[in-house]
Amino acid sequence: MIEAVEKLAEMLEHENVEWEIFYQFGRSGSFKIERETLERSQRKFYSGIGLRVGLNGRLGFSYITGLHPREENLERLVKRALKLAKISEVPFRGFPVRRRVPQVEGIYDREIDEIPFEEAHSLALQYAELMREKKGKETLSGSLSFAVGTSGVVNSNGIELEERSTYMGVSAYAVISEPPGTGSYRQSFTSLQPVEELERAVEGAVDEARLSASAEKLEPYSGELVLETEAVASVMDVFMSNLYGDEVYHGRSRFSKPGEAIGNFTLVDDSTLPALPGSYSFDGEGTPGQRTVLVEDGVVRNFLLDHTYASFLDMESTGNALRTFRSVPYIGTSNVVIEPGGESLEDYEGVIVRKVFGEHTANPVSGDFSLTVELGYVVKNGELKPFKDNMLVGNVFELLRKMEVGKDTRRVLSFLSPRILIEGRLV
Amino acid sequence: MEWLVKRAEELAEKHGIEYYEVRLVRVTSTRLSMSNGQLRELSSDSELGIGARAFNGAWGFSSANDRERFEKAIETAMKIAKLSRGSARIYTGNPVKDEVELKVKKPFTEVDVEEKLSLVKEIDGLLAGDGIVSRNAYYGDSIVETLYFNSLGSEIRTVVPRVRFGFSVTAKESGEMQNFWKSFGGTLGWELIEKTDLNFWTAHVREKALELLRAGSPPSGEMDVVADPELTGVFIHEALGHAVEADSVKNGDSILAGRLGERIAVDGLNVVDDPTLPGKFGSYPYDDEGIKAKRVEIIRDGVLVSYLNDRETAEYFGLEPNGHARAESYAHQPLVRMGNTYVEPGDWSFEEILEEVKNGLYMLGDKGGQVDTANGTFTFGAKIGYIVENGEIREPVRDVALSGKILNVLKNIRAIGKDTRVEFPGYCGKGQWVPVDDGGPHILTRALVGGLK
Repeated sequence: MIEAVEKLAEMLEHENVEWEIFYQFGRSGSFKIERETLERSQRKFYSGIGLRVGLNGRLGFSYITGLHPREENLERLVKRALKLAKISEVPFRGFPVRRRVPQVEGIYDREIDEIPFEEAHSLALQYAELMREKKGKETLSGSLSFAVGTSGVVNSNGIELEERSTYMGVSAYAVISEPPGTGSYRQSFTSLQPVEELERAVEGAVDEARLSASAEKLEPYSGELVLETEAVASVMDVFMSNLYGDEVYHGRSRFSKPGEAIGNFTLVDDSTLPALPGSYSFDGEGTPGQRTVLVEDGVVRNFLLDHTYASFLDMESTGNALRTFRSVPYIGTSNVVIEPGGESLEDYEGVIVRKVFGEHTANPVSGDFSLTVELGYVVKNGELKPFKDNMLVGNVFELLRKMEVGKDTRRVLSFLSPRILIEGRLV
Repeated sequence: MEWLVKRAEELAEKHGIEYYEVRLVRVTSTRLSMSNGQLRELSSDSELGIGARAFNGAWGFSSANDRERFEKAIETAMKIAKLSRGSARIYTGNPVKDEVELKVKKPFTEVDVEEKLSLVKEIDGLLAGDGIVSRNAYYGDSIVETLYFNSLGSEIRTVVPRVRFGFSVTAKESGEMQNFWKSFGGTLGWELIEKTDLNFWTAHVREKALELLRAGSPPSGEMDVVADPELTGVFIHEALGHAVEADSVKNGDSILAGRLGERIAVDGLNVVDDPTLPGKFGSYPYDDEGIKAKRVEIIRDGVLVSYLNDRETAEYFGLEPNGHARAESYAHQPLVRMGNTYVEPGDWSFEEILEEVKNGLYMLGDKGGQVDTANGTFTFGAKIGYIVENGEIREPVRDVALSGKILNVLKNIRAIGKDTRVEFPGYCGKGQWVPVDDGGPHILTRALVGGLK
């Protein structure tokens, strides 16, 4: 165990409190390319320790940065957390107890951990070069980032866990000025990717920008249409907060308990999927990661829960306590998965929406949304006619009730879903 | 920290770095939140970190929050810059020595945490009422103390206090649910809380949430829209502000590239970004590149006259540096950002504006927005709206988002009110979050309304 954490645990053993230490340390390197030129490179270091204490049913929290605190700083940290526990009135519902934690495969890659900064930097130069090669009349920009981080949880119930994970992010962005068009590509990984991934990023952004530049606004349309994975992610974003345990508990969700039938699909949160950036073996409180079926064949089965809200709702934690050392746990998703259905939608002919934006302006409790279409196309006899700037309007609960899920799953960051078929409206 | 200033000089010499800048930042903050009478968060913390940049035709940046790594962060930034060897140039200018503390009437550091706790409790109590199923209140304050120094010999110390609080409710009736909320904030002290009429605003939030339950969905299609000062604020932030951030312009990512001096809006429209307005949430004395914050006229009488810039883009476009480089924290590199963005008053009264509308919508409040600066398309949401017929305000409508093309909407403004207000604090995201404020008067324009009817 890290020396400072060990010392802190020792100090806490002398106090008559329940306690939990959450610590993190890591570094990242990232590179920003603007107009096909590497413009900004950075290397960041971070570390810190967060402390929660439970005293007479009340919770106190405080943190320090760095992993080499002087003894008096650790003492002050304990004092501060205890003081806050005395005045805070934040209810304390205990900490998780020790359980077996199966290790999720493929979330640490030695290659990323050990890549010398100079080598990462030259990969970024190569990426910029690739952009210069592949560009037509587009202006290209993008980024590459690498990170390695360790987080650990130690508590008074005997939990003592530590995990290291790695990350690589790739993005590309293409702009055409006349007529205007934009295209983008974003993906994340847990292991070092070959140059082919960078090629895919540039080509993806360029292709999309060309479609976007030739896109025009579609005449208002109402009827059957297909959403691609990116658009599904935006629409699901409007819905997801209804499944957050804290929203349920505080009355800001459409649901107050599991059991309601809302459609004909299966939605899962799964932090145990191998080699995905949303995965982890244990959450920010030391609860093992798990596959949580949130909606099963259209029926709400569970909510996203941490230890505290699970206790309030008389349910079990689903291992969804996200965390940084600067904060108490908060509920969030790991990998969100819409399970494949039976519809074959890959060769669908008709109206297809690829990307929309503006989902944070929508209303999760009423479910109404109006999102701007960034790119879509009408496919007819294999011919593709792109469109943009319409608004996709509807109600997410109605959409879910009628949607049909395709067969072939695609992943965008931590969201996995096939295309879906909906009844929709474009204005 | 004088030793660090000296050490940076030595390191720059060693690595042959001409330009570098360092920010040492201490943030002290208190946060509280309460839901339905139950306290969810109470924290009070302080941290110190460093962000260092070095320039060698391209930027190298490094940050750390462990004191033992402070010196190393400076050296790392320099090593990265050496490795980079780009061909960009930056504005350097003369060194600046200054100390600025944004003064407040009643520092929140002199207010006990117990009193802050009573505030959220009081608000929680005031929010309770028939039909309200969920209540939320939050309070947060922070003091950001920055020591900025660079290789030119600049040494700037700033102290910026910032406070924000607000509340929301969820109303429910026969299966329908609706939210309403209100936030207050500024580079102010506890006086902001004392001058806020909590009785009035909590009642307002409750009534609006209940009113929304009975509101229908708006019509859809292109139509006349009257925006209230809050919605005008988000509109000008999204529709114009992001597209005049010079880094976007430089990267070919703005529809307003190459249009300086061009008429892009109606006569009589004046838009300003001013981080020097006293007490506003987006105010700051110096930006994160050590440039004094300046009031910038973006649009003067319908003509695009300036971009918001940083050291690099000021040099690139040959513009006067105007101090709009802002970073979320010491661990972030500054980007070109807005401060307080607003539309200056025109000469229409609200009644005159309404009379102009035969069939349209009166839309109020900011529910967030987003823009695609390259395509010139934006979207934003309003908290509530009302149908307007023959100049009369009729029934309420809910969940409305608007969309438009930047260049069309700015030219379609038909009336600019005289009632400018800049008091709508929020956070703007561009990969990093920074506090901003925006506003304006009532305006009348045309936009695409995305209703369900």
